[in-house]
Amino acid sequence: MLQKSSLTLSDGTKLDDLIIRESNEVSLRVMSDKELYDIEMERVFAKTWLLLAHDTEIPNSGDFVVRDMAEDNVIIARDREGNVNVSLNVCPHRGMRVCTAEAGNKPIHQCIYHGWAFKPDGDFIGAPVEREKMHGNDVDKKTLGLKKARVHVYGGLIFATWNIDGPSFDEFLGDSKYYFDQLFCRTDSGLELLGPPQRFIVPCNWKIPGEQSASDGFHTLTLHRSLMEGGIMGGTAESIYDQAPGMYGVDISCPQGHSLRCLEAAQTFKMFSDISFEGKSVEERLNMLPPPGITPELIPQLFKNLSADQVEQLATIPPQVGGIFPNILVLFIFAPRMDGGSSGALALHTYVPRGPDKVEFVNFIFAEKDVPEQVKRDMLQNSVQASGTSGTIEQDDADVWPQIMRNSRGAASKTMTLKYKALHGHERPEGWKGDGLLYPGFTKDDTQWNWWLAYHKLMSEA
Amino acid sequence: MTWKTQSTASLDSTNILRGLTSLKRVPLGSPVYNAILETLFNEAAALDERRFDDWTAMLATDLIYTAPIRLTRTGPTRDRDVMRSMFHFDDDYNSILMRIGRLHKSAWAEDPPSRCRRFITNVRVAECGTEGEYEVVSYLFLERSRGDNPENERMSAERRDVWREVNGSFKLATREIIVDQSVLGMANFAVFL
Ligand code: FES
Ligand SMILES: [Fe+2]
Repeated sequence: MLQKSSLTLSDGTKLDDLIIRESNEVSLRVMSDKELYDIEMERVFAKTWLLLAHDTEIPNSGDFVVRDMAEDNVIIARDREGNVNVSLNVCPHRGMRVCTAEAGNKPIHQCIYHGWAFKPDGDFIGAPVEREKMHGNDVDKKTLGLKKARVHVYGGLIFATWNIDGPSFDEFLGDSKYYFDQLFCRTDSGLELLGPPQRFIVPCNWKIPGEQSASDGFHTLTLHRSLMEGGIMGGTAESIYDQAPGMYGVDISCPQGHSLRCLEAAQTFKMFSDISFEGKSVEERLNMLPPPGITPELIPQLFKNLSADQVEQLATIPPQVGGIFPNILVLFIFAPRMDGGSSGALALHTYVPRGPDKVEFVNFIFAEKDVPEQVKRDMLQNSVQASGTSGTIEQDDADVWPQIMRNSRGAASKTMTLKYKALHGHERPEGWKGDGLLYPGFTKDDTQWNWWLAYHKLMSEA
Repeated sequence: MTWKTQSTASLDSTNILRGLTSLKRVPLGSPVYNAILETLFNEAAALDERRFDDWTAMLATDLIYTAPIRLTRTGPTRDRDVMRSMFHFDDDYNSILMRIGRLHKSAWAEDPPSRCRRFITNVRVAECGTEGEYEVVSYLFLERSRGDNPENERMSAERRDVWREVNGSFKLATREIIVDQSVLGMANFAVFL
């Protein structure tokens, strides 16, 4: 029995009428509805963990970057003790932005309006003309700091939430942690962000890229057919649907809505199609074809940082694309280069809501910190050419999403539903080591449906 | 052009460099200036009209084509806002050919094509150290009409080029596109700038 959601919109429509769990459908109306958006700000974006930045952006005390937790602008700063703090960039005096830069280094953040000053950890220092007590006569200074979010650093990734007593970050990741560790926690020095993120606006509701990030593998064959036409992935332009390169693997997911697509390189790319792992040890496999972003020198570190089972998966069928609920896309892919340079592109995107009809696409591009400079150079180029602003893959996504939103407003159109009926159902492949919900074979709708269930759950909790 | 990856995403090795660096100006109205200006107009027309083969013919095979990101900064570093550690475009001749090859097949971001007008103004030219090469700085204003959307997408940028004279015509050897927005208002750069 499905538990009914109590959420009802002002026109009487229930959340259960929009996320139709009996038939695995979602009303198209959700892709632009203003009232739903306002509730999402409270129940999703103020409740869950959000990705903001990377450790390597703020190596020194006083370093800061400014980012957005949905529509709340925040300062991410390192204090003198080396801790990472996330504070609301809203002056408690009269509401001015305390920090007007996107990044920099400041031991003290002083508001340019009346001069209230704050430490990197958000604590209030004082207001100018101390003797006049411009912060108030009988006000405790401790109450005047910037509002602080709860912070968790995972594999160098800086997450924060306003849900101070909510689930821990590990509870939030759940069974998917085993797989995400293979990407973010596999080397001694970890990842490095190669530069400040690309940022651009796509005129669509955040849930359109959001639900896609939950491992929509199927769209690759059609929307991204230029990958097959360009000869990089297996198959030819004529045989795209017959060969369906990159479609067969194991999709993993969990009730929290996260997911990853685990794919064998030989099944996906033409240039790897002759590689046979038959009878090869894990170490031999890793040396024949290191997972995206890993160079041969780093292979011993994998064994040190991960369990034997995790390394075996990384060597055989590595996680490559997927998402972390609600708004993160993970792209840790093989990206073969024609010039023989370093293959692999490591990128994360956040889709930050900017109103019901706008989303900011933030593209973080990484390499492993301990790889040679030339590898970083190649991998930056691979990511810029494939993903984000000018990426030949994601240009096409950014063109589709606004058209879906535009379709969600008409009296007839908005009653249409998105269909998630191509379901495989959880099935544990033989010999599979990790936990979670598992969907082997052709990539289907299961992971995206789990994303909507996670959304439904949060939206139902007042 | 030399380029170096930063060892962290730290901000401090960017520079303020703007506009022309060479002091050997090629004056407005001189034959070389006129020929380069005409080349820029021809290039804009080739791109607006989607004559990609004509555009390719204007590119040097050692082309470096980049668009660094911009970052809003304050205080002593306020003018160091061109971040050459991250790019919107990070291309060379071969990757540009790949992009053009894609545009001839299934590139839905430009199929249907955008209708573009590239307005090129404020052109300044100077001689480079190398014989026959010219630094050319221009402003670009792009109006891009997409589908049946009556509101154009638009962007402004400065372009810092090196054009090389080869057998009486000019080839683009370097282009650095300095966009003005730190958060782009355009959903993709599926068009060349
Ligand atoms: S608003 Fe910041 S000091 Fe007045
Ligand atoms: Fe896509």
